[in-house]
Amino acid sequence: MSVKVLLVDDEELIRAGLRAIIDAEPDLEVVGEAEDGTEVLPLVTRLAPDVVLMDVRMPVVDGIQATRHILDRVPAAPKIIVVTTFENDDYVYDALRAGANGFLLKRARPAEIVRAIRVVVAGDSLLFPEKIRLLAGRHGLEPGRSGLREAGLTDREAEVLRLMATGLSNVEISERLFVSVQTVKTHVGNVLSKLHARDRTQAVITAYESGFVTPG
Amino acid sequence: MAGVFSAVFGPVGRRLTYRRWTYLVLGATLIVPFTLAAVAIVPPVLRLLLPADTAEQPLVLAATMVLAIIAWAAGTSFIPAVRVVEGTAARELLGAGVPAQASARATNLEARWKTCQWFLVHILIGAVIGGFTLYVPIGLLQSFAAPFTGEWLVIDDTHVRVPTGWQSAWIPVVSVVATVVLVHVVNLAGVGLTRLSQVLLGPTPADHLAELKQRAERLAERNRLARELHDSVGHALSVVTIQASAAGRVLEKDPTFAQRALTAIEEAARDALADLDHVLGLLREDEPGTKPQHTLADLDELLGTMRLAGVNVETRITGDLPGLPFAVSTEAYRIVQECLTNALKHAGKVTVTLAVKAGHDALEVDAVNPLTGQARTGGGGRGIAGMRERATVLRGQINAGPQDGAWRVKARIPL
Repeated sequence: MSVKVLLVDDEELIRAGLRAIIDAEPDLEVVGEAEDGTEVLPLVTRLAPDVVLMDVRMPVVDGIQATRHILDRVPAAPKIIVVTTFENDDYVYDALRAGANGFLLKRARPAEIVRAIRVVVAGDSLLFPEKIRLLAGRHGLEPGRSGLREAGLTDREAEVLRLMATGLSNVEISERLFVSVQTVKTHVGNVLSKLHARDRTQAVITAYESGFVTPG
Repeated sequence: MAGVFSAVFGPVGRRLTYRRWTYLVLGATLIVPFTLAAVAIVPPVLRLLLPADTAEQPLVLAATMVLAIIAWAAGTSFIPAVRVVEGTAARELLGAGVPAQASARATNLEARWKTCQWFLVHILIGAVIGGFTLYVPIGLLQSFAAPFTGEWLVIDDTHVRVPTGWQSAWIPVVSVVATVVLVHVVNLAGVGLTRLSQVLLGPTPADHLAELKQRAERLAERNRLARELHDSVGHALSVVTIQASAAGRVLEKDPTFAQRALTAIEEAARDALADLDHVLGLLREDEPGTKPQHTLADLDELLGTMRLAGVNVETRITGDLPGLPFAVSTEAYRIVQECLTNALKHAGKVTVTLAVKAGHDALEVDAVNPLTGQARTGGGGRGIAGMRERATVLRGQINAGPQDGAWRVKARIPL
């Protein structure tokens, strides 16, 4: 059972290139393409992809809006990776806040592109933790930072959240804390539900924005 | 006790006091030429205009001379260089409280008028202080001899006769007090002028507005270049990277794809170079703001160029275009330019219908061009963001999109 990928980009040549790179992998398959954010929702409903690779900047409906639409309206939403030309693009961070699971640079090597899709599908570690840290640092803290005090994380959960932010996978966290992977998964699950986060990316961004983890 | 002493004698020892004094004495020297002219010209003119006995009356003579001095000085103050000299001297001598704007040329009527007021205040207060500056030190020096010689304030042939001996002992005391008082008066006048300079030599609302406008323009220009690089070169290099990566991966399995990818890479790279050339050209141009900016007044020239390039433009221009604010006119020109070049780029040699309407409360630009099969795929709507950003700076709005088989751009900038 291969991973189904939907490509969304207004440039045909980008889509064609990504398709060739992804289809060359035995376990990945591009099931559809869209030219604009407007076309995404029906395609997601019809094709039920596992991952959407979404350009952030598109003429009519951009990647941020399209991400919101999918998360708002599709019950079992696919993972979303926003694709961007430049790292220091405000849109990227906005897309991550809107709920995208990760982001990918268009200049990424084919191996990185493929790995990004696999990481996001597995969902047990953060994609490009270092870059997310930089982005969070540049965007500053939300006013009235609470340090997540009201979230009521236990000490252990707080520790797990800090390790999540560094990009460690569940297995790596379990090794670091000398506990079972299952225990880590439970902690991660608790963290996500206490922070009302959809996934690790959301949880880590919340942690940065509340000042719980310092991006600097 | 020490507090009282420093309050009384503090200004005497302070360097700033003497810088302020210099500025005031400068005012006194500036009034001299006007005074000499008044002395030379006013009496004969009065004698011509008025009956002899009225013209000879000291009060009439004095009042007319003062008025003449003020009028000439006021007239002179409107010479731009006067403001620069006055402002520079004020900044140097009165200290940091004088606004930086003071030494810049006056660019609007309000600033000129305020300069005039400043000049008059400076030379009139300066004249008074200058007069005291002449007499008080002489009085002080001679005060110690006066009780012995019986003469005080000896200047040229005039002097004041005073009794000799202890009866005149008050003279040195009063002179010292008068000197200290003068120093305080000078100091206070300096402080007053410094405060006044903020009102009269500071930036006027028009200056603030011009400064803000310039900053907005610089920002818009930088954003435009950044966006242009992002949209053109960034986009092209992304295509190159991804196509090359893909071609490398499928080279053996799908040679046709690899072949197509090479062509795409070649074209994208060539486009990117052309765009880079363009952006670098813009960067190499003179400082933004120093180069003349096109306004709607240059519209005919632009239309001529576009016609040469093969775009036929049917125009309908209404309203008072030359009366538009500069910023609105330059932005509108750019929007029109963008519309026409976009039409050429995406639709080819077509006829563009262009309506520019300057109304009471807004300027409207409406450009329509037919959509043709030639339209380049991708890149759709990339120039629109730039136009929108520019219009937004001026609180305007832009709608662009397909409508009835044509591409339509409508811009509205409020006046």
